[in-house]
Amino acid sequence: MKLIIRKTVLPFLSLLCVMGWQTRTSAHGVVLDYQSTQAYEIQAAYDTGEPMDNAQVVVFSPDDPATPWLTSTTDAQGRFLFSPSAPGNWEVQVRQAGHGDILVIPVETGSVQPEADAVSTAETNDTPSTDNSSPTAIAGTSGYSPLQKSLMIGAVIWGCVGTALFFSRGKR
Amino acid sequence: MNKRLIFLTTFVVMSAIGVQSCAGGTSPQAEAPTNEPASPTQQATAPTSDETGTLQIRANGEDFIRQGFVSKDGWQIDFDHVYVNLDQITAYQTDPPFDPEADQSIDAKAQTEVRLEGIKTIDLAEGGEDAEPILVGEVEAPVGRYNALSWQMVKAPDGPAAGYPLMLQGTASKDGQSVDFTLRFDEELSFTCGDFVGDERKGIVQAGQTADLEATFHFDHLFGDADTPAEDALNTGALGFDPLAAIAENGQLDADLATLEKQLSPEDYTKLVEILPSLGHVGEGHCQETTLTS
Repeated sequence: MKLIIRKTVLPFLSLLCVMGWQTRTSAHGVVLDYQSTQAYEIQAAYDTGEPMDNAQVVVFSPDDPATPWLTSTTDAQGRFLFSPSAPGNWEVQVRQAGHGDILVIPVETGSVQPEADAVSTAETNDTPSTDNSSPTAIAGTSGYSPLQKSLMIGAVIWGCVGTALFFSRGKR
Repeated sequence: MNKRLIFLTTFVVMSAIGVQSCAGGTSPQAEAPTNEPASPTQQATAPTSDETGTLQIRANGEDFIRQGFVSKDGWQIDFDHVYVNLDQITAYQTDPPFDPEADQSIDAKAQTEVRLEGIKTIDLAEGGEDAEPILVGEVEAPVGRYNALSWQMVKAPDGPAAGYPLMLQGTASKDGQSVDFTLRFDEELSFTCGDFVGDERKGIVQAGQTADLEATFHFDHLFGDADTPAEDALNTGALGFDPLAAIAENGQLDADLATLEKQLSPEDYTKLVEILPSLGHVGEGHCQETTLTS
């Protein structure tokens, strides 16, 4: 029996939930944010048209084709969604009951986020996710907010100016 | 006074730059994935030298051949010998990866290839029930990822299966009836396959190390599998053993394709001939099949 695996490119918004934001002193602080990224929807079916529901899915990244980047399963309609983190040939292996196939997805530069905001693969490589809806971990943003940075810069400048004026007056 | 102002201005600017640099350096962005450390796998997939390793080619009849199985129509089938005669066994590094379903030829995508020289006759039933897939041969290979495999099944020049690319010997039993069978198939076939699909990744050759690729043969396509639902396409498309048992005489069946064409119904013979090219796989991965003779 042959399998049919198709891909669909979907833009979607991922919702981030960041606990313990650095600017808050409360242990219960929650900050929600979102970003736009690009996802690929895999549709796995037998050549009879029957969906491969709950089939095993293993995703391999272009950088390390030997180690699963992500493991998961298809949903009841044989669908699976993932968001690649880098350009290159991504491989998606779908297997069920002795039947299987590999789909190669060429992800081009520009189809993924810039490196600074790239989807992190570190967690998925070490401990493959089993979550269909959010299979990837998102890299954090800067540890200081713009307000914090401005205050720090201002304080240092003010200290420098004050020190300089002090020595300047003492020599008169 | 001017010197003091210049000094003061320079000091303030340098301080501001220093603070900004420190703030940026402590950012968790440093944890975002980078390409700095090259893993051994990355080195293997992007060879930059003449380093080589060893690539083994194995042939696997799966547990169906090693342990026997029950066909879709209830025959317990056990194999004594399953001879496949392989030639032109070639492993490829292809980029972009070869797709046997879509690509017409592997030549345009093959960047590196290695070949086992000579014709190899393999008995897939060799060894015990838990035997490893049969080693066909090994070859020194440039490091890299071999993600495609091709071979031909040609007539054996000599040996127990002389004159046949594929020969099955075994016993089928059902409801007290037993049939000793020898099936000789003289159709020569060519298989060109993509990447291995299975529990593990294969074909990644690293310097000084050994990797393997596997030519896999799915004999459940021929006889069906009682452990698979009857309505599954595997079983609806399989011949089963009932048609073969029906033409056995005194519990014996020794037939080649010409004999089977005469004795099987036209529908069953056509089904049989159409199944043969579907036997070849790479794990669960598919192949592009070509009939060399008919």
